[in-house]
Amino acid sequence: MATKQIKVALLGNPNSGKTSLFNALAGTNQKVGNFSGVTIEKYEGVLKYESYEIKLIDLPGTYSLTAYSPEEVIARNYIIEDKPDVVIDVVDGSSLERNLYLTTQLMELETEMIVALNMFDEVEKAGTKIDIKQLQKLFGSHIITTSAVKKTGISSLLDHVVRVYEKKIDIKKNKLTLRLEIEDKLLDICELLKGVKGLKKYNHRWLAIKLMENDKEVYNLVKEYPVWIQLEEILKKSIIDCKNKYQSDPEVLITEDRHAFIHGAIKETVEFPSTKKKTLTEKIDSIIINRVLGFPIFMGIMWLVFQFTFKLGEAPMGWIDLFFEFLSGVATSVLPEGMVQSIIVDGIIAGVGGVLVFLPNILLLFIALAFLEGTGYMARAAFVIDKIMHKIGLHGKSFIPMITGFGCSIPAIMATRTLKNRGDRLTTIMIIPFMSCGAKLPVYVLLISAFFSTGAAGNVLFGIYVLGIIVALLSAKILKKTLFIGESEPFVMELPPYRMPTIKTTLIQAKIKAFMYLKKAGTIILAASILIWAASNFPQNKVLEARYEEQINQVNINRSLTQEKKDELLSNIEFENQYMQLEYSIAGRLGKSIEPFIKPLGFDWKIGVALGTGLAAKEVVVSTLGTIYSLGEVDEESVDLAEKLRADPDFTLATALSLMIFVLLYMPCIAAIGVFKKEAGAWKWIVIYAIYSTSAAWILSFTAYRVTLFITG
Amino acid sequence: MQITLSDLDINQEGQIVTVQAEGDVRRRLLDMGLVRGVKLKVLRKAPLGDPIAVFLKGFHLSLRIEEAKCIIVKKISNDDD
Repeated sequence: MATKQIKVALLGNPNSGKTSLFNALAGTNQKVGNFSGVTIEKYEGVLKYESYEIKLIDLPGTYSLTAYSPEEVIARNYIIEDKPDVVIDVVDGSSLERNLYLTTQLMELETEMIVALNMFDEVEKAGTKIDIKQLQKLFGSHIITTSAVKKTGISSLLDHVVRVYEKKIDIKKNKLTLRLEIEDKLLDICELLKGVKGLKKYNHRWLAIKLMENDKEVYNLVKEYPVWIQLEEILKKSIIDCKNKYQSDPEVLITEDRHAFIHGAIKETVEFPSTKKKTLTEKIDSIIINRVLGFPIFMGIMWLVFQFTFKLGEAPMGWIDLFFEFLSGVATSVLPEGMVQSIIVDGIIAGVGGVLVFLPNILLLFIALAFLEGTGYMARAAFVIDKIMHKIGLHGKSFIPMITGFGCSIPAIMATRTLKNRGDRLTTIMIIPFMSCGAKLPVYVLLISAFFSTGAAGNVLFGIYVLGIIVALLSAKILKKTLFIGESEPFVMELPPYRMPTIKTTLIQAKIKAFMYLKKAGTIILAASILIWAASNFPQNKVLEARYEEQINQVNINRSLTQEKKDELLSNIEFENQYMQLEYSIAGRLGKSIEPFIKPLGFDWKIGVALGTGLAAKEVVVSTLGTIYSLGEVDEESVDLAEKLRADPDFTLATALSLMIFVLLYMPCIAAIGVFKKEAGAWKWIVIYAIYSTSAAWILSFTAYRVTLFITG
Repeated sequence: MQITLSDLDINQEGQIVTVQAEGDVRRRLLDMGLVRGVKLKVLRKAPLGDPIAVFLKGFHLSLRIEEAKCIIVKKISNDDD
């Protein structure tokens, strides 16, 4: 016999412990996807219980089921359209009154639901007594006390899911009765809706309530039908009636009635401890976000996150680097020299290595962020910094992704998911690449060491970082005034109680992000790395190659040379050949073709090529310059390269400054573009961003170049 | 004269008279339980003076002064509780 499937959806407020409960139910057997068309994660899990297979869906955390945020629309459409067999409404027992608001909306939808009264251990510890039986009656739903952390009530919850599904137990559904004036109108509306065929599958009372609440989505749904003309009459009239009688509108009155119902229910069933002592959360808050210490503590925590992510990530990044070096060493020695070797070593291994090398950073950052989120500090961080962020039109929550950008844009862009508003999110994503990421540093170091005195070096470096911040802030202002006008999330945010997050939940979150990065970004990055490889290796110059072979031969057969001398000559020949090949390749030709555009910035085709290959990763600018200046393997501390640059009459202090600014501001690396595309959703944003950032880079570099030329004469 | 949530001092309690916000902000405030008759207490201001944190219905909520200005309240004297 095939096992029957029960579809169960988990719904609940943010911070209600919904995710922990989901993890406790589903274990490690879960998969992550996206709800179609949006970057909101969809967690699914499967488990066996009795003779059933229970399919769990973790809906996004939401306070309400209106149509104002994408999370709410997704959660509610899932319940209405996908019709789960049972909805588990996860309610934080320690904040019952606010959490039950969502429950009242599930009552309106008349879904089969079970309330999981979560964090019940905290409720008991606080000495609060709840008359569960009476509460069940009032809300017309089974209420199971659970604690995801202590793993209590889990099997009872599953038991009830099965029994509700089998219709073996049932608590009479209760209707939340609204005030008379509203109920009268609801009846009239329902009567009209009854005759509409296309609306049969919906709960009419719910549609009626939503219409009176002025719900955009339901408006658009019902507008299609001719009955709309009559409906509009009723709705208009109810607005006037409510205004006359209550100096208010139906939307507010309905909400008031729901809250009043909950307030009454709580009064009837909950007995709070008589002594009012300060909660732990209040005590912690009075230190952590107080007016004197709040800011320094915030900065300290940000510093710790940064150190944790990038300092702790250094070692594993080094190992990954070493591993891929080893791998390419093996491949070079095993495979015969030629095209196949080149594509495997320089294309694929380098490409995959370039993707994997960021993994430690991503994992660590998301462990840190999931931990902070779990403790409840994240909301406080936004609270502390919001005033500053608000000045540039952003939300307090934008700050963390922004500073993460100093390490690497990839985890930073991924961290913008905490921003619920589209305008806030896209603006933040677009300004992140202006922060000087770790890969830009080698370029600065090289150019500064070549053209500035040791005394000035620190200041120049600091200056370039500051410039990035200024451009980012100004861009945020511009974007918020043009593309995303009026799009921002209101700052009405819960400061959840402090809690110790479970290690399991923290790690699962981080793991999920890491997989997301590998899967989506990985493919784009790999493809692009191969493309750049191909561009700098093709077409091959046969004439050049023949001459190269000839030269090597000549050196090899020359008996008058010592082995040492031969090696030196051979490597010189090889570098020269590389230089010529690069010049001949598509990359080289592209570099030459863009020369007219970059000439005003003081760049010749060689820098053009370096900027192009720098799209693979910004530090590649340095190694490409190394190839071009015929030095072979170089890094930013290479004295030789610095000297060669200085020796080039076309490469001046002004060029160096101009190049630093250009590298700071132009297109981010392909890895970042890959993630950018995934998070922003449409190529359109990348095109806009590419144009915007490159023009900004051009204008500022041009200005810096001309001004410096003018000053230095 | 009408006073708003932003006029309350720290630790002062008030009761909501009406919420005058519009659109998204209003919906959000309503959903979070800021409706007529609800009692709340100002807990603190952020280190830079904005936003503020309030206590209502057993939880902590933060909102900008800009939003707090939309919430008309009446003061409750502290010993009245």
